[in-house]
Amino acid sequence: MTTELQRSPNRRPLQMSQLGLHILIAFLLLLSLVPTVIMINLSFKNGLQYRWDRWNVSLPLRGSNYLSAWDVIDAYMFNTVLVAVVGLLGVLILSLIGGYVFARMRFPLREPLYYAIIALLMVPWVLSFIPAYMLYNNLGLLNTRWALIIPNIAGGPIFGIFLMRAFITGIPEELYESARCDGAGAWSLIWSITFPLSLPGLATLSVLNFVAEWNSFLWPLVTISDMSKQVISVGLFRLSRTTNDSVDFGSGGPLFAGYVLASIPLVILFVVLGKFYVEGLVESGIKM
Amino acid sequence: MSSAQSTQTDSAAGGRGLWTSRTGDSGLSWRAFRRSWQAYALLSPIFILLSIFVYYPPVLGLIRAFFRWRPGVPATFVGLDNFITYFTYAETPHELVNIVKLLIFGLFAGIVMPFIMAELIFFVRSAALKELYRLLVIIPMLVPGIVTVLLWQKLYDPYLGPINDMLRAMGLEYLALNWLGEHRVAIYAIMFVGFPWVWGVGTLIYLGGLGQISESVYEAAALDGCTGMGRVLRIDIPLVLGQVRLLAILAIINAITAFQNILVLTDGGPGFSTMVPGLTMFHSAFRAQKFGYSSAIGLLLFIIAMSGTLIINRGIRPANEELRQ
Repeated sequence: MTTELQRSPNRRPLQMSQLGLHILIAFLLLLSLVPTVIMINLSFKNGLQYRWDRWNVSLPLRGSNYLSAWDVIDAYMFNTVLVAVVGLLGVLILSLIGGYVFARMRFPLREPLYYAIIALLMVPWVLSFIPAYMLYNNLGLLNTRWALIIPNIAGGPIFGIFLMRAFITGIPEELYESARCDGAGAWSLIWSITFPLSLPGLATLSVLNFVAEWNSFLWPLVTISDMSKQVISVGLFRLSRTTNDSVDFGSGGPLFAGYVLASIPLVILFVVLGKFYVEGLVESGIKM
Repeated sequence: MSSAQSTQTDSAAGGRGLWTSRTGDSGLSWRAFRRSWQAYALLSPIFILLSIFVYYPPVLGLIRAFFRWRPGVPATFVGLDNFITYFTYAETPHELVNIVKLLIFGLFAGIVMPFIMAELIFFVRSAALKELYRLLVIIPMLVPGIVTVLLWQKLYDPYLGPINDMLRAMGLEYLALNWLGEHRVAIYAIMFVGFPWVWGVGTLIYLGGLGQISESVYEAAALDGCTGMGRVLRIDIPLVLGQVRLLAILAIINAITAFQNILVLTDGGPGFSTMVPGLTMFHSAFRAQKFGYSSAIGLLLFIIAMSGTLIINRGIRPANEELRQ
């Protein structure tokens, strides 16, 4: 089925020159960026411009929209960063340790234990969503930041161990042997050899994990009722519901400015670590 | 799941010696366990967290699917009642039709579009531009998922949205629909979100697969006059079937279980026209407090998604590994 679908759109560009290829790629990339461009354009409009001149760039640009937006969403941004960073630290530590143990140590039941973790990648979240809510309810964790941090620390290492094991296996064994000869224990093998040499893997994992946390929506929507602890996705969702722009002229611009602000942490993350993310995905040759 | 790197793991770590350690302890002796206390100690925090927060909830869900279950009230066993209720509910066939539609579309958008993008980038000769495109393809991911959906909701706005503005400007007034508010079009409008569906992760996964095809295979193919489209069909596609399989499984799980976009865009409406089982699960738990019923729907979705995964796993057989580097 898939080959039939792939055939027709692909035939023409391949017979064209490299130029045609570039044009087609640029076209697809531009199309994907249309909503983003519209978002940025709208974020600079005042109420009248938003009402009457929505799709052109209209001067003057109203930068103060960003200040109004920041006043509303700063707490959501802070909450999300806090929860994501604390969770990420836990995930990185546990994934590094787990990856090291499964890649470098030999012990009975190693493979069964490894597969007991990896099999969890195949359990769709629908089965646990409802009972997990009840579990957090019974533990009294609803409406606390732990309800957002614990699922990440507990669940994040599943993929993390998979990724870090593959990465740590690639470290030359001689490095470990010479360290062992010098009498290094498990902790120093992890901390002084594995950790510095697996930084690119940890970077890939950080990007994946942080993006997932920044995007998480349904779980915080149901577990956090106190808006002062709420995360950015749910915050923006609620704001988009309360500001009805066909009634309130002024609300359009700041709302879109808020959307832009919410994207900035991801932009920073990709500027700093995006290279590792791309290489991690391309060079690991992930498949099933 | 496997990766090129993890295939090296076994040789580096002493073969597939599942139960034995290299020092020659035979099998699962007490001494072997004791000698390995360090490994178990290092793994124990991971497994403690996993058992409470990852293993336990799905098991609990599996059991409570057969109970009447609400917060603060002892659960009572009701047998298959929850499942019978769901299957006799008038809107259920409609919901199932919707996930079939979403599934067919999801397979196209999740498998085919990233493949086309990956092939286009793969055919680029300039190494620098190739690298640039690889980076550019992830730009849409810099916008949070919820923002993308909320933006599309604005694009669809019947009065203020650019889609209808554009149609009116082109004199196609009659096509300017209330995209998310009409029974027959709403589900397709939901699918259209994210157009042209060039998903960065999928594209990069394909590029990884294409990059691992050995140069000698391409040279041999070129000598036989197998280039361009012929090469894509006869060499590239068979050799990225491992990636196709992964993306197909992700697409199936996503189509069957995801309801976040629907919740935000239409909340199942207008009427029940965009309802899916996942959304019914969500509503019955958090609006009607029927957690047992909700768990039963979750279990059904899990079974459907797992069956789909198994079918794909059997159905798509990756080509010979020797053709890779």
